[in-house]
Amino acid sequence: MATGRVNALYARRRLRNTMAQGFAYAATAFGLGWLVLILAVLLFHGFGGLSLAVVTQNTPPPGSEGGLLNAIVGSIAMTALAVAIGTPIGILAGTYMAEYGRHGKLATIVRFINDILLSAPSIVIGLFIYEVMVAPMGHFSGYAGAVALAVIVIPVVVRTTEDMLRLVPDTLREAAASIGLPRSHMIVRIAYRAARAGIVTGILLAIARISGETAPLLFTALNNQFFTVDMNAPMPSLPVVIFQFALSPYEEWQRLAWTGALLITITVLALSIFARSLTARRT
Amino acid sequence: MSDVALNGTNMMAGAAATRASVLTRLRTTDTAFRNLTRLAVFAVLALLSGVILALIIGSVPAFKAFGFGFVFFVIDTPTTEKFGALAPIYGTLVTSFIALVIAVPVGLMIAFFLTELCPLWLRRPIAIAIELLAGIPSIIYGIWGLFVFAPFVQQYIQPFLIDTFDGVPGLQNLFAGPPYGIGLLTAGFILAIMVLPFVTAISRDVFEAVPAVLKEATYGLGCTTWEVFKHVVLPYTRVGVIGGVMLGLGRALGETMAVTFVIGNAHSVSASILAPGTTISASIANEFTEAVGDLYTSSLIALGLILFVITFIVLAAARYLLLRLQKQGL
Amino acid sequence: MNIASSSAPAPGASQAGIDTAGLSEKVSIRDLEFFYGDSRALKGIDLSLYANKTTAFIGPSGCGKSTLLRVLNRMYDLYPGQRATGEVMFDGENLLDSSVDINLLRARIGMVFQKPTPFPMSIHENVAFGIRLYEKLPRAEIDARVEHALRRAALWDEVKDKLGASGLGLSGGQQQRLCIARTVAVKPEVILFDEPCSALDPISTAKIEELIDELKQDYTIVIVTHNMQQAARVSDFTAFMYLGELIEFDVTEKIFTAPTDKRTQAYITGRFG
Repeated sequence: MATGRVNALYARRRLRNTMAQGFAYAATAFGLGWLVLILAVLLFHGFGGLSLAVVTQNTPPPGSEGGLLNAIVGSIAMTALAVAIGTPIGILAGTYMAEYGRHGKLATIVRFINDILLSAPSIVIGLFIYEVMVAPMGHFSGYAGAVALAVIVIPVVVRTTEDMLRLVPDTLREAAASIGLPRSHMIVRIAYRAARAGIVTGILLAIARISGETAPLLFTALNNQFFTVDMNAPMPSLPVVIFQFALSPYEEWQRLAWTGALLITITVLALSIFARSLTARRT
Repeated sequence: MSDVALNGTNMMAGAAATRASVLTRLRTTDTAFRNLTRLAVFAVLALLSGVILALIIGSVPAFKAFGFGFVFFVIDTPTTEKFGALAPIYGTLVTSFIALVIAVPVGLMIAFFLTELCPLWLRRPIAIAIELLAGIPSIIYGIWGLFVFAPFVQQYIQPFLIDTFDGVPGLQNLFAGPPYGIGLLTAGFILAIMVLPFVTAISRDVFEAVPAVLKEATYGLGCTTWEVFKHVVLPYTRVGVIGGVMLGLGRALGETMAVTFVIGNAHSVSASILAPGTTISASIANEFTEAVGDLYTSSLIALGLILFVITFIVLAAARYLLLRLQKQGL
Repeated sequence: MNIASSSAPAPGASQAGIDTAGLSEKVSIRDLEFFYGDSRALKGIDLSLYANKTTAFIGPSGCGKSTLLRVLNRMYDLYPGQRATGEVMFDGENLLDSSVDINLLRARIGMVFQKPTPFPMSIHENVAFGIRLYEKLPRAEIDARVEHALRRAALWDEVKDKLGASGLGLSGGQQQRLCIARTVAVKPEVILFDEPCSALDPISTAKIEELIDELKQDYTIVIVTHNMQQAARVSDFTAFMYLGELIEFDVTEKIFTAPTDKRTQAYITGRFG
């Protein structure tokens, strides 16, 4: 199809197209490359440290061997409490926004506020809880840490609950109303069940998110080198321990930091993938 | 007939009474539930107000002592009790800027790849992989950055940059200084990797919403794939892309752990991006628990307030843009 | 050129009646088959499109007329899983061949779509965009070409004072004429119209039909329409399609007054649609 159009201009256009496409491939390889690199390094440095000791021994003093038991337990305790506090509030608020006040002004404002909270710097949350809990109480505590994490859980759960409930078709609601089921019963017995997978996904994602959060714990739960289940005292957590150990000059501590990092990453990725598969199966 | 009616009324009266009590009970629980949800919503509102209030109250001592010029002070020396916010603010802005400069073009091109070039069966796996980057906790980026990336930067990238720009007027000072490995550039680069998935995910969503017929019309003129993207898809999705970028910016501004490890924690403002510095969140993270004296603590809280205000504005703008998109039906 | 002897006509297709004196074949479709994945959407199409004439494709929904149209500028290439076999001869080459440069092909065979698709640019830029793809011209010449194209699309008078305004601010009918101007500016040889008026009001429709009538002086036009009266008004030749097959192809007048195939008869009398 040789016509007058095959000229220098066209050649340049084709070149630009090829270069742009090449850049796009390169960009994707770049992004994926970093993922692979980070995970590979994590495995490399952390895997060697994986041993029974990690989950049976507590954090050691500088220069000696040990494990991460107290940090793991502390993290689990605070995460569990945070989820226990944050999930009900989040689900209830999300329910209001999806069911009762969907198009109202209150819901619009709260949606906006919730989105801000969702992406707010977590260190600011830590400062907030310091001001309202740690300072008045006079000491750091696992409770303060858990509450700080709960503040991060709430917006995530609100968002997913609202989104999932809104997906429930109105025909279902109308069917419930037509047999005389009051609103709240309809919501609890029908809408929640229909949106169950999505809401659970939201909770799982919230857990994944707080599992790796360090900043909010820095000045709420602080840290503790001993094993403790007393939530009214400073509590160790995996992220904060990693922070402390990684920045230290002690080799044993640094190794434990990598192992801890590997543990957190595996947990977070497993939760994310599991959560994703829950919603994927539905669609 | 009246007998039947009388009997029926008795039965119906009994049933009616039971039904009435059931309905009352249902109504009470119904109202209770509804009020519970309202309470939860107000809790969310209270949360945000609480955060702002707590930050303001906590920073009052600092602002009283230094005035609003606090923002422009450079010196932060605990011994002299003179604190200033310039270095952290500068560092926050510079690292976020570097992050965007890298993440936006790369993120857009990855979204271009995923929507136009990638074979269908690969699209979901690659998209998920990129999103995994967002899921990796920031402390992981921190230690990876400190132990793996910073030495690499120190050995190869920084010397290269220093040598290349040595003698180039203007740019020389931008890339000057001993190669520490850590510093503003390294922190900015790691932030870029963290922000990348946000830009990619949102861009991809808006790119896919471009009407097929518009793209076909452009192809119909004989345009290449890149030309369709550059001249039609990008302008059409402009608002959404900007919203996504601002969301990523909001994340970068508030990022703490990844930055703390590699920024160097130096309260100084330097022209070179290879120099160590600090960001607001890194300063708070590093210094808060050791802050001696109310003024020091209050200054750090004031920093937190500044950070919150900046991110609030950015996030609000991003949400507004994306909301406008929704109204357009995109 | 005697069509009837050049290849075996598809079963049911009636082309023998066309007097080919004075006609030249612009595009010659032979044994065209089209597949969406595994399902066959076009079956053995044999058809000729004559230069400087308007050919209409008509038929009920799903008959394959749009599919056939979109083969002509290889639009289906954008979608993996869609493929075509057979021959579509244009200027001595089979445009289905993978060696054909698609971008250049589309510059020679342009398309106007059902929904008006102005680019998110100014009116002037919408038209100039296509010109700049293929020619490097000084500003004054581009402006002249833009004016020429807008005149050809009967839009110049309405937009000459607001060339810098966004193309999206025009009415539906004006937007469609803008798309026509854009297509014409690239100087194609064939213009494909895919139900160009179905989203427009009757007045805009009339204007565009007038336009198509003028355009055929310089271009070969193919138009897909579900509006039979439009086909009767606008086209010289009509192809009736049904369930992926070409049932009848003839001079428009004959199709609408004395069709050969009884299925054609049934369709044009509204027996089904």
